[in-house]
Amino acid sequence: MTMFGVLGGGTWGLSLAKAARRAGTTPILCTRRHESGSHAGLTVTSDLAELAKAKIIIMAVPSHQAESAARQLGEHLNGNHFLIHGIRGLSGEGLATVSQILRQETPVRRIGALGGPVQPDELSEGRPSAMVVASAFSDVRSAMAELLSGPSLHIRTTDDLVGLEWASALVGAVSIGVGFAQARPDISPGLLAALISSAVDESATIAVAAGAKRETFYGLGGYGDLLASIGMPNRPEVVLGRALAEGDNLEQAQQRATLRVEAIELIPRVVAFAKRRKVPHKVFGVLADVLERKIDGERVLASFF
Amino acid sequence: MTLMRADAPIFSFNQQRSALIARAVERVMATTDDVLHILNDAAYHETRRLDGTRRPKDVDRLDTWRRLARRVGRMGRAERQSELRALTAHYVEDIAGHFDPRVYRFSTHLLPTLVTSLLSPRSLPRLIRHPQRLFSLDAVANKVVVGGDTERLRKLSKSGTLVYVPTHSSNLDSIVFGFALERSNLPPATYGAGKNLFTNPLLSFFMENLGAYRVDRRLRHQLYKDCLKAYSTVLLESGYHSLFFPGGTRSRSGCVEKKLKLGLMGTGVEAYGHTLLAARERKVFFVPSTINYLLTLEAETLIADFLAAKGKARYIIEDDESTRAGRIATFTRKLLGMSGSVVIRFGDPLDPFGHRVDEDGESIDARGRRVDTSSYVRNLDGEVCIDRERDAQYTRELASAIADGFNRHTVLFSTNLVASVCFEWLHAEADTDDLFNILRQRDCMIDRLELARRTQALRDTMRERERAGEVFLSDRIRDVDGEEIVALAMRAFGGYHTHPVLEQRGKKIALRDSKLLFYYQNRVIGHGSGFVTGAPR
Repeated sequence: MTMFGVLGGGTWGLSLAKAARRAGTTPILCTRRHESGSHAGLTVTSDLAELAKAKIIIMAVPSHQAESAARQLGEHLNGNHFLIHGIRGLSGEGLATVSQILRQETPVRRIGALGGPVQPDELSEGRPSAMVVASAFSDVRSAMAELLSGPSLHIRTTDDLVGLEWASALVGAVSIGVGFAQARPDISPGLLAALISSAVDESATIAVAAGAKRETFYGLGGYGDLLASIGMPNRPEVVLGRALAEGDNLEQAQQRATLRVEAIELIPRVVAFAKRRKVPHKVFGVLADVLERKIDGERVLASFF
Repeated sequence: MTLMRADAPIFSFNQQRSALIARAVERVMATTDDVLHILNDAAYHETRRLDGTRRPKDVDRLDTWRRLARRVGRMGRAERQSELRALTAHYVEDIAGHFDPRVYRFSTHLLPTLVTSLLSPRSLPRLIRHPQRLFSLDAVANKVVVGGDTERLRKLSKSGTLVYVPTHSSNLDSIVFGFALERSNLPPATYGAGKNLFTNPLLSFFMENLGAYRVDRRLRHQLYKDCLKAYSTVLLESGYHSLFFPGGTRSRSGCVEKKLKLGLMGTGVEAYGHTLLAARERKVFFVPSTINYLLTLEAETLIADFLAAKGKARYIIEDDESTRAGRIATFTRKLLGMSGSVVIRFGDPLDPFGHRVDEDGESIDARGRRVDTSSYVRNLDGEVCIDRERDAQYTRELASAIADGFNRHTVLFSTNLVASVCFEWLHAEADTDDLFNILRQRDCMIDRLELARRTQALRDTMRERERAGEVFLSDRIRDVDGEEIVALAMRAFGGYHTHPVLEQRGKKIALRDSKLLFYYQNRVIGHGSGFVTGAPR
């Protein structure tokens, strides 16, 4: 019986399936992008019931499809399944995490999330990298570590599921700010470092109000992920921030980013959440103003502090 | 009716007692991996606890523990096992209670009627004319109100084990809850009660003989906790309906409990797993319940303890109002003089994983699908296994569902609403968010008409919440005007507490006891009103 499956045949889903295969399992990939049968050495199906024969399932669909995909998949699952997602994002005004959606839409309780600095191409090609697995259930953490660990992929685990999901989502938002700052002629390395530190600290404070652990933001799932993100000049969030600093309006900046930047919609919702919870949100407030062009570039850097 | 109650496992407890103890001991022996560590831990904690004692009995105990601490490192495996078995047997024997059906009948049938008649002399002539009423609960029928889907619970009690998990605000709770079970024709439950209550002469007789088991909160070592959990687990898997107070101790602040203790609650999922392993599945159903009082017997002591400097609050209080016969009599007279002054609500039953349960005992997920509960305790190979780390997380999620049930089944009285309005007034007068500065306000007065107007507005807000299924209102305040609610609260507050809480002065009301106003308003804060400690205005 296939023990491991991936829902979602995009770059991320394919990479995860390949990484698992490299670690010695026979994953099943559930997708409508590829013909059923075999693709890149993987067993492919479009049948959710077939996927549900695997006891460990990773969801790797775009965040806006997470709810409907979970609802359909939920019809085929039970309490014996482990359901792990690799989806960045916080949903709705209440900023529901994907794991909360999975809990709502499926009968599965042993839920986890993937995060950290690993990139799809690193996974796909088997280049050395590191990933974080979060779950409140120790059996999920250990099963995932066993499933994905290999000579080239280092797995760290945490029980702070909420923290990892919030960190993964907020890294995108902070990356816009870093892209913006990097493009400013008046930024110095010291000022950039101070900006990043403030942004991570504030992200942690806001997430703690949602039940996260602060330390998660200072580890691989927070700082680690952010450092990887801003180290990639073509990362859409970084490109978008840079374009805004260079005077583009939001529409033009989005075109330059080429891919959809979900953090654009997330930032004002995070600000609203922080206001409701009465926690500091200066950095995110400035980011929201930047997106709405309420503040000119000259004053942005000073406003962060 | 009688048949079902007589069928309840608790009625055959005394015959089963030895076997239950033996199983609990074997369970502890089988699950203790590091015997040296567990013995060292027990010796360390007990030596620390007893150090400096002068009681001869405790001096002997201290000496025994010190000897064990010195010897345990040199003991062989067999000797350590033997020591562990002896200690385990001692603790489990101490924990296990008794059940006397005669005491049960007396306490649930006769006692409340007699108490009522003694405290309400006007009912005495009626009882003399109709002596059969001595053996019914009719006399207290309009005093203690029971709500919730008791029909479903009765049905579930036949197919599974019920675990009642009520809120806890008074030492009277277990007795009042026992009345509620009796009134609802639900099977009686065994429960863990603080060992200190067994030294209370007013309560110990009933505690000893109603199936209560002793929980000695002074013992902090792991072996004792393991014994307690093993005993509870064995009771649940054997079908003994149980009662836990998941708050662990009485709510000091008057708030409905949010943070729940997981220890005994976790025995639910473990017991369920053991029944699956033994191929005789017996489901466990948790019943979040609220015990709501118009007044709380020990309110003054509890709130004083809550307000004591952080870290100095006492976990065990042995000298509160519940130990004083006079206070209990005054309190009971007061409470029973006002109809609907105690309301017990049974919430929706939950499985050990926090799912709702339908009347057939089937678990329902958030999308309304029936789920196979056994799948939650199976590993990836599909085998049922006991995994304490996994089960601890299930229990955390269950605790969250129970806390949610507490909130939704809280019943608000006139005392809560009026206290909430008065405390908000004090807060505004103090012009600070510092709790202690607010509490220090003296000679604050509020116009009675203004108090009535604000109280009515708050009641209207809560009535909307009640319609949305988020809270309940006492029947006495649901449809009356604000003045009537104020009058009810004034009548309730008058005459029981040591100092007047509110006092009429002309057209104004003096807010006399800010601590008690804080205590009674705290019941409202889970519902979007009232002063939340530490929260900015």
